[in-house]
Amino acid sequence: MERQCLCKWNMSSKNWKSAISELLKEFSFKKTTENLLQTALETRELADPTVIHEDIAIPHCRSILVDGFKIIIGKSNSGIPWPKEKVKVIILFITPVKQSGPTEHMELIKHLAKALRSGGAEKILSAGSPAEAASILKFSYEGKPENE
Amino acid sequence: MNRELEKLISLHDLDIMISDLVNKDIFKQEKKLGLSPDLAAAKLRNMRDKLFLTIGRKHRDIYDQLSGHYGNAVVPVINLLCSGCFTQLPTAFCASQDRNDQVETCPSCGRFIYWCD
Repeated sequence: MERQCLCKWNMSSKNWKSAISELLKEFSFKKTTENLLQTALETRELADPTVIHEDIAIPHCRSILVDGFKIIIGKSNSGIPWPKEKVKVIILFITPVKQSGPTEHMELIKHLAKALRSGGAEKILSAGSPAEAASILKFSYEGKPENE
Repeated sequence: MNRELEKLISLHDLDIMISDLVNKDIFKQEKKLGLSPDLAAAKLRNMRDKLFLTIGRKHRDIYDQLSGHYGNAVVPVINLLCSGCFTQLPTAFCASQDRNDQVETCPSCGRFIYWCD
């Protein structure tokens, strides 16, 4: 799946809400868009926390506020309570709302499920760099030098 | 941004989340990941109903009509086009500096419109 992703290494957040905020900031959305996306992602987490596998959370939503796929991998060495179990890797993604329906969103979830099965989850938890984490999920990393 | 417009956008995003979670393919994939889409959908419906009641009656009624008719009631303006019906919006309509400071509808299809940041 040829999708680009950002990475945020050594996250400083101490709780899941600020972790979502810390990751959203990496996209440089304008304030209103960022706030509305934060609300949407928080709402989804409040309904049912998206902790998958041990130590990995996948906050996600589809929104009319984005015009393309927005994917970011976050990593915290100390772990972030989500809200109870601590997670060390966060894969946050927002997919656009298109007339063609939710097919692409479903394909991305399917892709992640496949990539994290059979050892992928363990590999990403022990990934040593943003580029390595992105390649485990078969995304291309649009890196920021300070994250290396 | 106008608070009511923010609520309409959030309502629309919530409706999308709920419809995704009951989509059988997405449901299956979320289950595979170990999530509980049925539980999430039920809770989101609850949240959606609460948010819906905080929106003014006039806008609620229009939202319901538009959702029933088009499937989407809120759309962004892209390149001066309503992205719901692709009609070019009048220039004067787009000229205001604070375009999202009031709830606007497309003069052609009637959908709620907002300008992307």
